[in-house]
Amino acid sequence: MEVGLRTAGKSVGRPVRKHDGDAYLTANATYTGDIVLPGTVYAALVRAPLAHALIRSVSTAAAEGATGVIAVVTGEDMIPWCDEIPHGLDAGHLGGHHSAVFPLAVEKVVYAGEPIAAVVATSEADAHAACLMVEVDYEPLPVLLDVESALAADAPILYPAWAENVLIEGHVGNDDFAEVARTAPHVLEGELRTHRGTAAPMEPRTYLADWDAGRQHLTLYASTQNPHVLRTVLAAAMRLREDQIHVVAPKVGGSFGLKMYGSREDFIAPVLARMVGRPVSWVEERAASLLPAAREQVLSYRVAFDDDGGLLALDVEALTDHGAAAPTHGWAMAYVGALSTGLGYAIEHCHVHYRVVVTNKAPWSGTKPFGKDGATLLLERIMERVAAATGVDAGTVRRRNFVAPSAFPYRHTSGLELDSGDYAAALDQTLEILSHERLRADQARLRAQGRYLGIGLGFELMPESADIPGGFVAAYDTSTVRMSPSGRVSVLTGVTSPGTGSDTGICQLVADELGVALDTVSVVQGDTDTCPYGFGNISSRSLVTGGNAAVLAARDVADKIRAAARALLRADYDEPVLIEDGIARLTRDPSRSVSVVEAARAVYTRSYELELDVEPHLESTRTYRPSNIREVPDALGRMQTYTTYPYAVHASVVEVDVETGVVTLLRHVATHDCGTVVNPLMVDGQVTGGVVMGLGAAFSEELVFDDDGIPLTTGFKTYLLPRAVDVPRVELGHLCTPAPGTPLGAKGVGEAGFAGALAAAFNAVNDAVAPLGARLDRTPLSPIAIMRALREARR
Amino acid sequence: MDDDLTALEITVNGKRRSATVDRRELLIEALRNRFGVTGPKIGCLTGDCGACTVRLDGLITKSCLRIAVAEDGAEIETLESMSTNGLTGLQESFWDNNAFQCGYCLSGMLFAAEDLLDHNPTPDEDEIRQAISGNLCRCTGYDAIVTAIKRYAERVAESDRRQ
Amino acid sequence: MIPTRFEYVAPRTAADVVAALDGESRLLAGGTWVVPEMGRAESRPRRVVDLRRAGLATISVEGSRLRLGAMCTYSDLLSSEDVTRHAPLLRTMASGVTGGSALRNQATIGGSVAAARPQSDVPATLVALRADAVVAGPAGSRRVPTAELFLGAGRTTLAVDEVITGFDLPSERMSGHGYVKLKRGGSSWPIVTAAALLRLDDDGRCETAHLVLGGVEAVPMTVDLTIMLGRPLGDQELDVAAARTVAALSAPWTDVLAPGDYRAAVAAPAARRALAMARANVGVTEGERHGRRPDCP
Repeated sequence: MEVGLRTAGKSVGRPVRKHDGDAYLTANATYTGDIVLPGTVYAALVRAPLAHALIRSVSTAAAEGATGVIAVVTGEDMIPWCDEIPHGLDAGHLGGHHSAVFPLAVEKVVYAGEPIAAVVATSEADAHAACLMVEVDYEPLPVLLDVESALAADAPILYPAWAENVLIEGHVGNDDFAEVARTAPHVLEGELRTHRGTAAPMEPRTYLADWDAGRQHLTLYASTQNPHVLRTVLAAAMRLREDQIHVVAPKVGGSFGLKMYGSREDFIAPVLARMVGRPVSWVEERAASLLPAAREQVLSYRVAFDDDGGLLALDVEALTDHGAAAPTHGWAMAYVGALSTGLGYAIEHCHVHYRVVVTNKAPWSGTKPFGKDGATLLLERIMERVAAATGVDAGTVRRRNFVAPSAFPYRHTSGLELDSGDYAAALDQTLEILSHERLRADQARLRAQGRYLGIGLGFELMPESADIPGGFVAAYDTSTVRMSPSGRVSVLTGVTSPGTGSDTGICQLVADELGVALDTVSVVQGDTDTCPYGFGNISSRSLVTGGNAAVLAARDVADKIRAAARALLRADYDEPVLIEDGIARLTRDPSRSVSVVEAARAVYTRSYELELDVEPHLESTRTYRPSNIREVPDALGRMQTYTTYPYAVHASVVEVDVETGVVTLLRHVATHDCGTVVNPLMVDGQVTGGVVMGLGAAFSEELVFDDDGIPLTTGFKTYLLPRAVDVPRVELGHLCTPAPGTPLGAKGVGEAGFAGALAAAFNAVNDAVAPLGARLDRTPLSPIAIMRALREARR
Repeated sequence: MDDDLTALEITVNGKRRSATVDRRELLIEALRNRFGVTGPKIGCLTGDCGACTVRLDGLITKSCLRIAVAEDGAEIETLESMSTNGLTGLQESFWDNNAFQCGYCLSGMLFAAEDLLDHNPTPDEDEIRQAISGNLCRCTGYDAIVTAIKRYAERVAESDRRQ
Repeated sequence: MIPTRFEYVAPRTAADVVAALDGESRLLAGGTWVVPEMGRAESRPRRVVDLRRAGLATISVEGSRLRLGAMCTYSDLLSSEDVTRHAPLLRTMASGVTGGSALRNQATIGGSVAAARPQSDVPATLVALRADAVVAGPAGSRRVPTAELFLGAGRTTLAVDEVITGFDLPSERMSGHGYVKLKRGGSSWPIVTAAALLRLDDDGRCETAHLVLGGVEAVPMTVDLTIMLGRPLGDQELDVAAARTVAALSAPWTDVLAPGDYRAAVAAPAARRALAMARANVGVTEGERHGRRPDCP
């Protein structure tokens, strides 16, 4: 891939507002749930009330006779219509175990809330009413609810064919800690426990499936991040050709990983629609939407370091409480966590042994920021402990360990190769915004008054735009740029935007490349019939992949406009042409010009007359394939699977009420670097949103289960999302180190903010309670946990 | 089944409308399914997220906490009514400040903001945060929403001063 | 979406409400709890008896008593001058309710009391105010001190054919009030609430003292502060009150948001802060009080 000039122009780099904002504001933005098809019927699911049980029998007779009911479908009933769900990343192919998962449970349930039957009825109310009438006879089995019990020698085996409760395990980096530690001045050990959380977008998963029996064709409207890949897996499991399926992703009400393709929930409406021959609507209830999980891990660590706080070696044993096996990418978060452990710090010996353990909870499911949060929290906790042990200031410890700007490209022990950045500069800027020294003085003064202020740092480095060899997660994507004879521009792209703003960014990029006004450009996405095959929205990739591809395609179209302009202006074939403000001018003689619209029309209508040496249409489809991905393993078996490496340094300031454990968040600062900023409004929105989500994870969001594995956090009164009153205004700083080797220089920003905020908040609370001898080694930082830590410290 | 159906007559965005609804329908469902408005969204059905917020007889309310038949005769305004004469200044401010990303909370946030400004035209940041605390947003982290409301209020106050 | 079928009635008098009640009916006040519960099919009444048309949303003052209709919403409390004057504690309580004004426009005090959730704001506040519930039943109307109304989590002494029509409480015009609420954030129900009312004589000695905690036990927990009467209110007295709070605890309430040991641990600081706030409030005029934020000190 050639390195182009960095785009800069009329709209790139500017705070352009959402290109289709008026549609949202006037209630004309259509979400899946807003679409009405004649004859639609409604599905509801019967869900397991037990976390582990054999299904002895399912009695559907009463439900079938209920008002409005069209069909009652059990797991067995669905098998002829849908094969097991294709895995996003099959652990069974990677040295772990395969699991067969169907849309509805067959024979056995492995988590409470697992769907075991579906009812289709003429109204949503009747469908749900009939669900209450489906009688299921269960034989309860012992439940496993944590990794320790699941790994115990006498633990019942959840999937008997595996003969163990480990879905997959692996090593990242060399296991040479003991050797280094022998001569190291200091060694620390510890354990960090993170809790179970979930993505919780405001719009639950929503589907409307329309099966046309005559054409043998399925149209699926879905709140999905990856319409094309969803079509691929639907076709495979439903034994259809891909051209028999049309997937449309209308406006998506937030996703954050929950709406990645390939969950069992993706199949409910399509399969039922085919079975009943009518359009089927299925909307996930909020309680069920809070089942898919992430983040619950036990991270045991050993770290060797010198007197100055320089890290010599790190060894991590990472146990993931995955919950039940699933076809989705959830478990890969444990792998990505291992890959990213220590990233950004120059640690020569860094080893992670990860084990993904199955338990009787709803499975892990891809969730922003995809396992990098645990790795971030771990390293940032370690930095604080090393600082405390050496007496070196916590910021200085980080500075000593950061990969220096002169060291790029820097290959981490996991194989990931960092390309650019200035981590110390981000730290400096954050401390400056914070007025760190004055704040420390305030802290000392307040402590004398019995008030406990805490200041915590958090460095996050997010590998973004992932590629999985053989999987439908790609570092590349494709965009088509099309200009009509009247000069209107459509960008059709394989990436999607569940609200993130990448679509607006793509409009800006293309407008500048073509030298046209922003409002002449529109973006079409989320439609498998009209857009090029693409991988949708994951891994902060949409602007980097779809945007770069659109830039390349727009350049092709611009070249044709230039050719037409030269012909119209009777200029030489190599005469440079500048396109700006909708006008193409000869660079050497700007008085000679022609409008882009005129040039566009000429391409379509005057090809022979002007003897144009270009194909007479204004359309180009290009794929942007980053050059830095390497998937031929090196001698150590390592790959370089991420395109960009954005980062941030966060600082949280909290006050802990030591009588009640209640934390007040006073300030949060984040200095972020995502390379070239296409739209600062959108970038700030992504970072701020990520910060608040990370703070929610740090303090209040937690999936809780009773002793039988029944979820207790079934809504927003118990799964506590942060509200506007809980968080301070996020103070942002910016750095820009463009991603080398890319046309744009932009780095992913969709997952920014979360991990560093979580870590900074964690360190801030620990900083606040440290003078009382208290220490927290687990999340969440609830008042309950803080009071327990304070009580233990007093003992 | 027929005995579950009942007539509901309400005023939706200034128009008297009637429809047959199932007695089990919530107001939000009747609005969306029977009266064809899609501005208010369903996010939780427990009154926590605020995406279903509408104005009912002049007061903002969470329409998922109301049984539709109970609201016979009510006057309801939804997002659809807000921009009948073009976008309002508040809406423009939401757009300018990127106060919505996925847009799912937008309708509720706008009603919460309007309600605040009706009662308190010059709110400070804390008051704004309090006023939107019944509405969840998962995308923005709230700052952009707070900014949008604050800047709009300041602009109105400024132009009032000038007059 | 409510799955199960029901009949809907909205009687125009309390007597008609009572007539519509039986073991299979469910009273509907603001609906903020009952409607979602029906949506989850956790409650499957045959008949929903809506109180909205029964004329129960009035607020009035008779002599030195404040009368509140059961259907008063939090917004009604906040906009009532009578409430501000005679029960400023209620105003402070209502202003801190989670859910924004959309919820405050809808949720009612009668509904909150009838639901009897241990963690709700209203029950303990009304007990602190020594409110009587006015209860209508087949035999007519009776008055029950709210302190005697609650039996346990979600349980009251009300019979299935009884309805709370309102509350009747003494004016607290001369008292200072304090209200402290500990939560796990804006999304959280209260974990512990402490409502305090203090009146001092001309010499600054404690004339009356009331302290009731919510969320600590399954029902509102009254702390007997007789020991403080006739004494000046120094920090030592507040410590005594905090100690009495701890002593009053017998069976701390546990739910998914907080275990009993946490609630027990924070009861005393919450109580102490509420009393300190009440002490600071004594003699403060309504105007001054308005300007103040109901924060704990």
